[in-house]
Amino acid sequence: MNRLRAFCIRLFNTLRGAHGDDFADELETHLALDTERGVRNGLSPEEARRQALIRCGGIAQAQDTYAERRGLPWLESFLSDLRYCARSLLRNRTVTVVAILSIGLGLGANTTIFSMVSRFVLRPPPVGDPGTLLSLHILHEGDRCCNQFPWPVYTDVRSQAAVFSGVAAYFDLIPASISGGSEPERVWGQGVTPNFFRVAELPMVMGAGFSDSDSDKPVVVLSERLWRRRFNGDRSIIGSTVILSGHTFTVTGIAPAAFHSIDQIIDAEFWVPLGLTPQLAANLPPRDSRDYHWLSVIGRVRPGVTRNEVAAQLSTIAARLAASYPATDKGNHFVFEQAGSLPPFVRRMTLLFLSALSIVVLLLLAIAGFNVANLLFAQAINRQREMAVRLALGATRGRLLRLLLMESLLLGLAGGAMGALLSLWSTAALSSLRMPAPIPLDLRVDIDGRTLAYTFLLSVLCGLFLGLAPAWAASRPGIANALKGETGFAAPGRRLSARNLLVVAQIAMALILLSVNGLFLRSLQSASRIDIGFDTRGVFLLSVDPRLNGYSPAKISAFLAQLRERAAALPGVQMAVCTDVAPLSGGNRSDTFSVSGHSGKGDPSSPADLYMVTPGYFDALGMPRLEGRDFSHETATGPRVAVVNKVFADRLFGSANPIGQRVDGGGSTYQIVGVVGNVKSRTIGEDTRAVLYRSLDQSIANDPSMMGYTLIVRTRGNPSGIADALRREVHRLDPAMAVYNLETMDEHVRAAYVLPRVAAMLFGVFGGIGLVLATVGLYGVMNFAVARRTREIGIRMALGAQPAAVLRIVLRRGMALTLAAMALGWPAAWMLAKIASSFLYGIAPHDAATFTLVPILLALVALVAVWIPARRAASINPTQALRME
Amino acid sequence: MGEKPDVWQGTLALMVLRTLETMGPQHGYGLARRIEQTSGDRLELNYGTLYPTLLKLEQEGCIRSQWGSSENNRRAKFYELTKSGQRRLRKATQQWEQATEILARFLGDTGKA
Repeated sequence: MNRLRAFCIRLFNTLRGAHGDDFADELETHLALDTERGVRNGLSPEEARRQALIRCGGIAQAQDTYAERRGLPWLESFLSDLRYCARSLLRNRTVTVVAILSIGLGLGANTTIFSMVSRFVLRPPPVGDPGTLLSLHILHEGDRCCNQFPWPVYTDVRSQAAVFSGVAAYFDLIPASISGGSEPERVWGQGVTPNFFRVAELPMVMGAGFSDSDSDKPVVVLSERLWRRRFNGDRSIIGSTVILSGHTFTVTGIAPAAFHSIDQIIDAEFWVPLGLTPQLAANLPPRDSRDYHWLSVIGRVRPGVTRNEVAAQLSTIAARLAASYPATDKGNHFVFEQAGSLPPFVRRMTLLFLSALSIVVLLLLAIAGFNVANLLFAQAINRQREMAVRLALGATRGRLLRLLLMESLLLGLAGGAMGALLSLWSTAALSSLRMPAPIPLDLRVDIDGRTLAYTFLLSVLCGLFLGLAPAWAASRPGIANALKGETGFAAPGRRLSARNLLVVAQIAMALILLSVNGLFLRSLQSASRIDIGFDTRGVFLLSVDPRLNGYSPAKISAFLAQLRERAAALPGVQMAVCTDVAPLSGGNRSDTFSVSGHSGKGDPSSPADLYMVTPGYFDALGMPRLEGRDFSHETATGPRVAVVNKVFADRLFGSANPIGQRVDGGGSTYQIVGVVGNVKSRTIGEDTRAVLYRSLDQSIANDPSMMGYTLIVRTRGNPSGIADALRREVHRLDPAMAVYNLETMDEHVRAAYVLPRVAAMLFGVFGGIGLVLATVGLYGVMNFAVARRTREIGIRMALGAQPAAVLRIVLRRGMALTLAAMALGWPAAWMLAKIASSFLYGIAPHDAATFTLVPILLALVALVAVWIPARRAASINPTQALRME
Repeated sequence: MGEKPDVWQGTLALMVLRTLETMGPQHGYGLARRIEQTSGDRLELNYGTLYPTLLKLEQEGCIRSQWGSSENNRRAKFYELTKSGQRRLRKATQQWEQATEILARFLGDTGKA
């Protein structure tokens, strides 16, 4: 306690400086009293004072020991070093600002990308003890990846796997319309086993959540976000009821806002017991079937059980199940990973994308670092004299190094602070992007502690690296020369090679960066040329899901027909048609189709995306009708007909005429009545898929859409003005109907471009920064070289060298550096392009244009950067140059 | 000078506290003189080390200081024991007594052997 008090006082004294120090007075009194005693004892005043001084050990010494105790000496010297560094940084303000900006840009880019890595790869879900919560999957022999669980398999694992203290299952995504209060809204939730929150160890914010007896009761847990948004955080909600899609549920708990879903991608806002899920989600698979894989499963590992033990027990269970149910379970294995890892089907792609970006931003940081190192190098040479003076005055080399290192660390940390600020802005921009998916995703990225720690670490590393150059310069002795104002670096040749190396590295990395950047820009260019197969102009979209309001299939058909009729009657509307999901929505229903009666091995079959449409759909979207007819007046119970696209027809029938043929798929048989042109079905970048269009009225009953139904309206002129009129018509038909996804087709398609656009934007921005930094670096080095060689050039010119010859010398030198850099960078870029190729749309990774244009562009930019100093060299006036110094 | 023992490490603080307890408020020079006198002039005190010790005790809250006038009307800084200083003195005294007692037994034993 006393020690702490003393420490605080000393800390305070250190920070306050030397004010209010009265020790000099006290010491003076002491000496006076001691002298008086001496005089009393018969000494002369002079002798008395001399002895008094001896007894106190000297004024200066006494004051020193006193001062040491007064403050914290180590902190004082640290602070004075810090003050010195700040002063020296401020003195070279331009260099400092450029350095902090460069490092800041580099670190900002790295922080942004790492915040994505942290969010999607490193962050555990906000459940209790995430390390012991596993996600389980079924892997069928020979499959690349994994499958979900049938209900009976889940119950088998739950009862047999003793390695788990609890196993819970959930159904990923249920749409529901929530009404009461303001306008009805469509929300998404999950169906869970009642033990779900207990297994996840997710305590409720309020209420008790589910109990074991709740498996078939109409109860619901709301997310804190939904509760605050829709119920204004009303605390009396526990025990009261809410209406979900027309069914009454009692609220038993509020789940924490941070929890979106176990996989951290799907954005669920309510949870109902799995037993109640059929009320909300159509055509769920039968519970007792071991065929339908529809449940996600998590397991809480018992304390002390290792992953190997889990794996061993799960494989025992898999073997047992395979023996008991050979028809369904043979060849199935269980695999697991820590819960909250990226879903297996997107993991590879995401990791590749993030690692490519990480490489790019690290390159960028390296370029920035080399650039600043070069600057500091130049500065260090100019400061050699200062260093020599300090050494001559008795500073130890260690202390000089400490000062220089502290200076560069300050630069690094300032850059890190700037980078963190930049990334706050960039992550906000990234989070505001809308993804082309019909389901709610939580893809927000923000700066967390892990990211800040990473940025701090990188800043320190940068600082240390930047300190190397000045430290190296300071470690060259040559005091005598330096004091005379000569530097050991003035002579051209070997000594400058370190700086040249830095520039070569910088340009080589800029080449790599620009090549990758060029590839992405080319990819975007070709993406914008992709023929999506339909006409987006003048088209407006709006979605409803009447099923959530308890509509029967027949009633849905009637509702949509009425809506089409009313929409078509609006002024400016040319056509109004319906589908289930608009094309380019990211995903869709698909089934495997084969020609009727030819479903054996070797017969042609093809997976095909399924769309429900109403008559006029193809005309409304401007899709060419190639053969046969459109839908007309198919009745719900009539023979099923379908229109297929060109790819579908080619795959199943080759050159034969598909019209009138029958195909089987998804449990139904369709007669083909027409063929239409190909469209991009799910994403911009896909290889064209086979598509089968079926009649909406014939499909609603036995295969209702999970995503609701979309009204497509073709208008004359600007379609966005129609939004309010359409919404009014919907509410005139049913005021309780939630309306969502109101957008023009142009907006919808633009969202589909978001991934290539974001990628191109990121790589483009990073490439641009890299190019600027590398150019500035090259310019700086050449400029410096010319300045150092002024005298030499002056002599050459005095001896008769022509300006053109001087120009050539400087140019040759600069371009030699550039060419050396390209010889290094080009092959590296070539190899890196292979990694990047996974994200490129319609373009070969070794795109000839990119790999020829980028080096030429870089060479031109380099030529300019070298030309300016070369011109300066050529215009040197020999007499002036020789008179210098 | 060499024959007079230096003040042992850490004991100066104890001497200062004890002296302040018996004499009441006192300035630095007075304390120094008093300590020398108490030791029967057997201790050689480097006055320069006294002040950092006083500062340390003050920082730790065992003593407090105040400017005042000395006997012959000089401005001097007077030090005074605090409650916390009294506690510290009691504890340190006990510890010293214990330590010297133990040491005395050792030395006594060797004497007998």
